[in-house]
Amino acid sequence: MASFVRSVHSTFADPELYQASINPAHVEIFITAKGDFRASLTRIELPRLWVQYGREILPRIANSIASAERPPIFFLAGSEQVSISHNGRDLAYGEVVIAGSGSMRHHRSEGPCQWASLSLTRDDLAASGRALVGSDLIDRSTTHYLRPTPSVMSRLLSLQQAADQLAQSAANTLAQPEPARALEQAFVHAIVTCLSESVPIKLGRGAVGHSAIIARFEELLAVNYDQPLHLAEICAAIGASERTLRTICIENLGMGPIRYLWLRRMHLARRALIQAAPQTATVTEIATANGFWELGRFAVEYRALFGEAPSASLHRSTQEVRASKNGPFAFAASEFA
Amino acid sequence: MAMPANETAVFFNSSDYQAGFRGATINLVFTGPGIFTARLTTVSLPHLRLYSVQESLPRIAYVALAPDSVNFAFPAPPNTSLVWGALKMKPRDLMFHSLGERMHQCTGGASGWSIISVDRKFFAGSTRALIGSEISPPRVARVIRPLQTDAVELHRLHAKACRLAETHPRTVGHREVARAIEHDIIYTLVKCLTAGVEHEDTARRLHCAIIMNRLEDELATKHERKILIPELCEVIGVAERTLRNYCLDVLGIGPKQYFRLRRLNLLRVALQRADPETAKVSEIADRYGFSEFGRLAGFYRTIFGETPSATLRRPEHKIRKNIQYAETS
Repeated sequence: MASFVRSVHSTFADPELYQASINPAHVEIFITAKGDFRASLTRIELPRLWVQYGREILPRIANSIASAERPPIFFLAGSEQVSISHNGRDLAYGEVVIAGSGSMRHHRSEGPCQWASLSLTRDDLAASGRALVGSDLIDRSTTHYLRPTPSVMSRLLSLQQAADQLAQSAANTLAQPEPARALEQAFVHAIVTCLSESVPIKLGRGAVGHSAIIARFEELLAVNYDQPLHLAEICAAIGASERTLRTICIENLGMGPIRYLWLRRMHLARRALIQAAPQTATVTEIATANGFWELGRFAVEYRALFGEAPSASLHRSTQEVRASKNGPFAFAASEFA
Repeated sequence: MAMPANETAVFFNSSDYQAGFRGATINLVFTGPGIFTARLTTVSLPHLRLYSVQESLPRIAYVALAPDSVNFAFPAPPNTSLVWGALKMKPRDLMFHSLGERMHQCTGGASGWSIISVDRKFFAGSTRALIGSEISPPRVARVIRPLQTDAVELHRLHAKACRLAETHPRTVGHREVARAIEHDIIYTLVKCLTAGVEHEDTARRLHCAIIMNRLEDELATKHERKILIPELCEVIGVAERTLRNYCLDVLGIGPKQYFRLRRLNLLRVALQRADPETAKVSEIADRYGFSEFGRLAGFYRTIFGETPSATLRRPEHKIRKNIQYAETS
């Protein structure tokens, strides 16, 4: 019998594969400090609801474009978890972000991070809202920040923990229609309660003013997601001076635009190195294609950021990296604490 | 758009060297002895041209920059005593030239200097994008004194790009590399321009520049003849005293000495090109206004370290051959 529910628990040593596994969003992760990357991701796809639980140990910037069909409900999951920056604003443990359809978000963590996301299709969510509280709940076209009551929040968190444990140790139970349906119903009920009863958090005026510029910046990056971009081109395209853009980038990304664009190009180069065939491609070609023309410097900075030489990345095949994807849980839970 | 040419060339005479600059001209008047060599590295990018120059001899140069680009220049090692348009250049100074500027540039020995030549439209667009308003070139060259970190970064990028053009010219032709170099340099350049302190004295310097250019225009029409200073001052429209002060500021010597130096340089070129079998030093010297052979020999020797007849006996092509041999061996 085909499984009723898909649940996967995976661990990652490579940010590329980790970001590719996160659903339903296009996510780009830039590690911002050196060290060995470790992450785990639990993904549970119930008939209507998708649940994800991610844990990472390195500080990073994650840019994600929310799915238009399944805009996620996002919150921090570990009780010890410190705030992260979400679109330039602090997001604390106990708060919830309802992503607008197709919106782009920047999350910046300064250390280990545990997060969870829940998603229903727009239609399913609307139908559940009408069935349970008699309304369409919330306007899903823009991003909302909510602060649920402690009881509603702890309900969400305990459901998420239970789901994660089931996926890791009792996947068979989850594969049964009845327990899966019960879990889904409990989740949907908690989500509807959260959306209908929570107090929205008002955003300051500065955030609104800067959001137009950051939105254009994001759009430009998204359209050119596999192209190197340089500062003057970006300033010209979005009509903001370097100084303005710098203020906004520091607010949203925790670093100036030059550093951010450099980091972005480093990751583009890394992706290209891992995907390239080592028999035909060269480090020089890939580095120069991404606008790195000081090759000695590139090698040094690459090694400092990713912990290996560019040539090592080139020779590490995609298959080899993939092999670890669904492997046994290789990292002790304490690594994520 | 033409494919960018990235190359290094070595020159053994000033006329070949002058042709190496695209759109710009440079006229050299040597002020010290030795054999002239110049090494010119060019990096040609779609909107940016970089030059890196090394010269072996002290000289006064009269430079005319291309009018279709915005030009910046800075000293490079060995950067001993560089005076550009009466301004003493310190090692981290950046000269911001006026459009199509013509100016004198003096060195006291072997010298190095660098140019960044930016397409006018690209420069206007980039400054508008980065700082929200256009930076216009000044009416007369000014010296920018950037923050040390910015100046160091600009020099580093320039030197790296030139080295890349020497060692991997094809890499510089790569679209993304060209784009990255252009943006790295323009970003640092704009930082230098916005953070830098300017040193200028515009009204006097503008007048000085106008007079010195008129002087060169006049000299260009009568380079072989002896020049009478009062007559010249009347044509240019300047008091003798003022001309003398300007010459001392810009060239480090008075007008009379400068004119003689120019004629001595012309004589030297003529001697190098003459056939030693048939030519006579005194005849050639006479053409350049040196009637007293004894005095000429003295001047000549002080500057070039050899007698006129020694120059005549050692034709140019022989010098060239020897140097090429020395370079390859």
